[in-house]
This record gives sequence, C-alpha cells and structure tokens, in this order.
Amino acid sequence: MSAAMQGERGASTVRRARPLLGTLVEIEVDRGAQSEAAIGRAFDVIAQVQDLMSFHDPASELSRLNREALNVPVAVSEPTWQVLQAARRLSIASDGLFDITTASALVDRGFLPTTARYIRPSAAVGDWRHLELLPGRRVWFARPLCIDLGGIAKGFAVDRATEVLRAAGVRRGRVNAGGDLRVFGAGPEALHVRHPLQPGVLVPMPPLEAAVATSAGYYQPRGHLGPAPVPIVHPETGELARGQRSVTVYAPECMSADALTKVVYLDPARATPLLAAYGARAIVLEPEPDGGCRLYHSVPGPAATA
Amino acid sequence: MNDLFNWWAVPAIVIPAAVAAPAQAVQYFTLEQARRALFPDAAAFVSRPVELNQARRDLIEDYSGVRLRAEHQPVWRAETDGRLLGWFVLDEVYGKHEFITYAVALDPAGAVRGIEILDYRETHGGEVRDKRWQAQFLGKHYGDSLKLGASVQNISGATLSCKHITEGVRRVLALYEAALKGEADR
Repeated sequence: MSAAMQGERGASTVRRARPLLGTLVEIEVDRGAQSEAAIGRAFDVIAQVQDLMSFHDPASELSRLNREALNVPVAVSEPTWQVLQAARRLSIASDGLFDITTASALVDRGFLPTTARYIRPSAAVGDWRHLELLPGRRVWFARPLCIDLGGIAKGFAVDRATEVLRAAGVRRGRVNAGGDLRVFGAGPEALHVRHPLQPGVLVPMPPLEAAVATSAGYYQPRGHLGPAPVPIVHPETGELARGQRSVTVYAPECMSADALTKVVYLDPARATPLLAAYGARAIVLEPEPDGGCRLYHSVPGPAATA
Repeated sequence: MNDLFNWWAVPAIVIPAAVAAPAQAVQYFTLEQARRALFPDAAAFVSRPVELNQARRDLIEDYSGVRLRAEHQPVWRAETDGRLLGWFVLDEVYGKHEFITYAVALDPAGAVRGIEILDYRETHGGEVRDKRWQAQFLGKHYGDSLKLGASVQNISGATLSCKHITEGVRRVLALYEAALKGEADR
C-alpha cells in the first residue's frame, strides 16, 4: 500500500469512504470518541436510501412502484414518500421541467437497465401529473409510468446522513456522494468542481456554506457528431440533453441542489426564478478550447455565497 | 452557448487552465486500521495469500466474468483463539481515471460482512505531465490556496462509477468459492 497524502485536517478528523449510490460516498468529521460510530450510522442511512430507491435493484421500493402502482395504490416508506413529495413540489414549481417519470427515455438510451422497466416502450405514458400521492403514503400511477429518482435521491441521502451526524453530536463534517456534497459546522469552505472534459482537473469555485451538486456528462463517450448525450431527459421533447458544460447548484439543502442541476442543464432561463424560490444559485462551466473554462453565474457576484 | 449569453445576467468569468488543481489521492485506512474496522473482535490476523493458479483463475473468471491480473491475492484469516471469524481480502481496481485499494470482509460462510476503501488515487491526465501545462499552475482565483500536491477537501462533480468495485467484489466472492470455502473448521 502506498502512503497517500494526508488531508489538511489530517489527524484531527476521521475520513471514510464506501461504495454506495453507484459512486464513492465520502464522509469526514472531526475526530472524537463517537466519530467512527456516527460515520457508521450515516453510511447506514445512505445504504437505506439506496435499498429503497435504487432503479437497478428489483427488490427496491421504487422497483415495486414501477411494477405495481399502475394496478393498485402502493404504500411506501417515509423516506420514499418524502422524496416523492419533494419531486412533486419541484415539478409544480418548474412547470414540469423537473420530472421523475422520464426513466423510459433513459432505458431506451442505455443509461438505465432494461431489466428494471415494466412498461413497454410503446405504451402511452403519462408524466409527473399522473403520479398520484394518496393519503396513507400510498402511490398510484394514473397512467403507465416509469420513475427514476436518480436526479434527487442522492441529494436526499446526503441530507439524511448530515442529519444523522449532527444528531450524533458531530460539530463539523462533510458528506460527499460523488459531487452531491454538504458541509456543516465550519463556515464557508473552499470548493472545487471537476473540469467538464477532464475529470482529474479541478476548477476553483466560490466558497461553499451548505450544499452543492454538479451535473455533467463526465464519463459519457464523446460523439462524432457533436457533444455526447447527458443522462438528463427533457420532459417536453423526450430528448436527452447534450453538451460539454457542467452545472453546479449551491442550495441550503443537497436534495434541492441535486434536482435543480437538472433543471438548469435543460433550460437556464426557466430555471432562474426556480433557483431564487429555493434559495439557490447556479454556476455553469463551459469548457474553453485552451483547457480552461468559462463560468456563468445565475446571480451577480462571483464571490457571493449561496 | 446561446442560452447562457442571452439569459445569464452576469458576464462570463474565464478560468484559465492555470488555476486547475491536480489529481487527488486520499488514504482512508492503513491496512492495519481496515482489518481492525472490519473485524473489531479478532485477536489475530493470519496471512493466507491465495495463489491464483490456472485452475483457480479459470474458476474465478468463470464465476465472476472478470479477468484476473495478479498471481496472488492477499488474504488474512481473522481469528479469535484459533476460531475463524472470517476472511479479510485485499483488492485493487483500476478505473479510467482512478485507482482504488479496498478490502472485503467475508464471514466464514462467504457472505460479505463489510467493504472499506483504503486508498483512492486519481491518475493524472496526459496534460498534467506536459511541462508547459504544469508551468501554468501559478494560479490565482477564489482564494488561490492550491499547490501541486495539496489536498483539496470539497470536490463536486462525479467521481468514479462504482462499477469496478462491484465487479471486484464479485471476483472476491468467486475467490472464496474457488479457494477459501471449506476452511472454516481447520
């Protein structure tokens, strides 16, 4: 084993990582008697979100909805209910630009496994308005739907893990699920975002106070006919977004940051009032030919904080 | 892009390649710490590397569908008073941009009991080796605290997909079938 570099916080913190949510989730907290136990519980709650909301796992609650909710209302757990409610609020506020029912298009393009889809591609599918949230935490599809929480559940998991750490008495910490990132207890912190075309290169960004998320097509192959598709579906056209930009959203909570990156990616103009409504701001990185990039801010002031 | 020029009120800020930071390397656990974390009750860890001879390689590649590179797999028996608590298997995976050392803890029946990441290293892109590109690292933006080799704490933007680790764990489970199973009573 080669000795890796120590973080600046070094021995005063505990830093752990586990493979969860299809990425590497990292948690770092101030070192204390209970810090290992607190991190363990935070990873557990992230694993629970994965078990409930994974599109890939046929045993998840989400897969059960996709299989059964067209036939009969299906009762779901509190975490899944919270995410579905938050998704609905975002769909209303974005006039349908945020929509968790576009998973079929992702399956068709190979971004999600076909094994997890239970409706035929030809079925007359509905949209978010046909996903009904009934009393008793029951969910019903009024039309054939295929839902995926990939654009929001990761941020939710980060928020839950943050709550668990705080409840365990952790005063300062960080949870990072592949770029869905939340910090607490330390005041503004330095933030870097991966270069859209060179994931190993980091671009400095304005400081981070709470939560941030970034969406980009980092690992998509580059097409011969222009930018490669990014796994974000435009609900009004059914087409995948294309581009080499990355979108970073700062918000008070990671779930809204996660979801809002998709809306900004699809339509920055329509996203602008929505960002304000969620107390969020966005920065778009457009790669430049020389290897640098150009930053576009949704609100004035490059050094302003979220 | 047009949608940004037209709608975003703030003039674009250009970040030269200059201020970009280099790739990351993090050590989460030493070998000793990882063994302790995954088997807190073990009194001893007995080294039991598995030689990956041709028969075993065939079996493992067959079970897991993953190709093997190494000739030995580092494995430890976690024991208390000679009683087997489980197996600690050390493994490495390579992605397009990263290199990860991780450990899988198996119980005596071969079920996964835990996974911990030990080392995460991002490989540098070709441009980092380029002298002229490196010379640009005289960056100054947003606090300009970056130095080559300095650790950056908060990074947004996707890292690896877990695909390689998932494949690696599948390979470790196959290794159990091929080489460790049936050792519980020894």
